[in-house]
Amino acid sequence: MNLLDIELVSVSKTFANMSVVKDINLAVPQGEFVSILGPSGCGKTTTLNMIAGFNAPSCGDIRVRGRSQIRVPPERRNIGLVFQNYALFPHMTVNENVAFGLKMKGAGSNEIALTVKDALRSVHLEGYGERYPRELSGGQQQRVALARAIAPRPSVLLLDEPLSNLDLKLREAMRIELKEIHEQLGMTFVYVTHDQEEAMAMSDRIVVMSQGSIAQEGTPAQIYRDPKSRFVADFIGKSNILAVSDVKPNGKTAEIVVGNDVRLIARAPDDDRPIRYCSIRPESVSLGAVTASGEDKSNRINAVVRRVINLGGSLEVLAQLSEELHLHILVRSSRSTVAPAVGETVALGIDAADIQTLAE
Amino acid sequence: MTRVISILFWLSLAAVLAFITLPLLVVVAASFSPTATVTFQPFEWTFRWYGDLLSNRWLDPFLTSLKIATVVAATSGVLGLLAAYCIVYERLPGSDVLMSYLLSPLSVPQIVKGVAIVLFLSMIGFQGFLGTPALIAAHVVLALPFVTRMVATSLANFDANLDRAAQILGAGKLQRIRHVLLPMIKPGVLSGVTFAFIISFNNIPLSVFLVRPGDSTLPITVINYLEYSLDPVMAAVNVASMAFILVVIFLFEKIGGFSAQIHGGSK
Ligand SMILES: Nc1ncnc2c1ncn2[C@@H]1O[C@H](COP(=O)(O)OP(=O)(O)OP(=O)(O)O)[C@@H](O)[C@H]1O
Ligand SMILES: [Mg+2]
Repeated sequence: MNLLDIELVSVSKTFANMSVVKDINLAVPQGEFVSILGPSGCGKTTTLNMIAGFNAPSCGDIRVRGRSQIRVPPERRNIGLVFQNYALFPHMTVNENVAFGLKMKGAGSNEIALTVKDALRSVHLEGYGERYPRELSGGQQQRVALARAIAPRPSVLLLDEPLSNLDLKLREAMRIELKEIHEQLGMTFVYVTHDQEEAMAMSDRIVVMSQGSIAQEGTPAQIYRDPKSRFVADFIGKSNILAVSDVKPNGKTAEIVVGNDVRLIARAPDDDRPIRYCSIRPESVSLGAVTASGEDKSNRINAVVRRVINLGGSLEVLAQLSEELHLHILVRSSRSTVAPAVGETVALGIDAADIQTLAE
Repeated sequence: MTRVISILFWLSLAAVLAFITLPLLVVVAASFSPTATVTFQPFEWTFRWYGDLLSNRWLDPFLTSLKIATVVAATSGVLGLLAAYCIVYERLPGSDVLMSYLLSPLSVPQIVKGVAIVLFLSMIGFQGFLGTPALIAAHVVLALPFVTRMVATSLANFDANLDRAAQILGAGKLQRIRHVLLPMIKPGVLSGVTFAFIISFNNIPLSVFLVRPGDSTLPITVINYLEYSLDPVMAAVNVASMAFILVVIFLFEKIGGFSAQIHGGSK
């Protein structure tokens, strides 16, 4: 069995009668990259602050390597934290910033010098040691913050939206670097973000939070393929969420009725909660006019093309199935693709496995 | 339009600066006056009056003022720092009341304060305190609101995330104060201390009640001297003490590295 690095046991946090984190249970094995993903204000930072020790949970227990941390102050938790706004010490050079944690631990000056050099090398900032934070770009400051957090070799590294202040290109480059650093160090990473792509790209496991509770957790693929609620289906990637008015279970599949009179064959639900909605990913719908025919799709429905947006590598099509039923569809396009014309009637194909039924 | 505004801006700035500096220039010119009455003769000047400053008549009060101002700066620096720390940073209960209380001496005229202190000291039978001890205490009371205010402002601007960053890196409370908090608010503390020094060194309205004959501060000695004579020595004293204050400000600026600190600059 894997050693658990972090455990949250029924952790809740209430600020002045406002319940911000509600009964969260979480177990993070050693070396895992876990993302806590959720919209703004759902309690991600609060949860992280409780793990770091800046906030005490209102109830529940927080354990690091099996030991309760409730009475341990942040300075003795041996946890690293990368802040959203970097929080570098402006009066210290990059070297001094990165050395700070080691100095506080009472490391010798030789060891400090070596470790600082190592840490700066792993974030590709060799030669920047004598600079002050204000003399660095945002991306470089972010790397210093990372180097400073990993230099003392904490058992766990917490990252609170560390990339949100960077531009898109840099963000994407940093994702890869963060992942590499994670693999190099073998540290447990708890990564907070509201950017689902970021979470998908880096995590071993994603914990989706909504209004202070965990909505779902699983690998990125699980979360994407099997969202358990409208919230998760909608928050992770794009999804067509349709209200289901009638259900006829039929072994491994179920016949559902959406938009008054459109019948679809969907994957049967995993549990026996009543089905209220279904979710269809835009890219799981094939367009008769675009894809090669002959594929065996469980559902073949005619629809009228209402809008076509060419995104370069793909086409975004809005198709009307009935009076008030529309589907957003995303199809790959290449040189040879003939885009459907607005007003044209096309055949849509959807696999039963791609129609996810939802209870809430 | 912006051009007109910018011209108006520079004109008014020049006017303000002229208003401040021209009287000083007259004093400077007077201090080089070749005759014993204050006159302005641009082509004849002498350093004679500055020589007079080295007599005990001026040197003693200068040293007294210097001693008092130094103690006042140090004391109100420490007290102001502690007060602001408890009020702004630790947010101890009753902080707001304490802050108002600390700032309240600002609303009492100095002359009233001076009379009150003299009366109080004689009431409790401590007339012996008049002179240097009373001056120090009174000047601290006077300077403390300013120092506290200045330190409080830089504490309020201190980013609490820096403290958290230091804490999660393993720094205990004292280490955080020493390595992060104090360096970050050093400019505020040093400006407060400089201010306290100048307030004490230049003070007249309060000191006038508290000095003991024969152990007077420089400004009070100047006032007493002025009652009998207005001569270039006077001007020379003023120019010299002005120059001294500038040197003090410069020195504090140097050790504080004010501008560098604010921008997190080089050592
Ligand atoms: N000290 C506090 N006192 C009162 N309410 C607080 C406090 N800290 C956070 N909250 C509230 O708790 C909720 C969750 O805040 P939190 O900072 O954890 O959100 P978040 O998920 O990190 O959001 P974001 O993505 O915007 O950073 C918010 O509604 C916030 O207003
Ligand atoms: Mg947050």
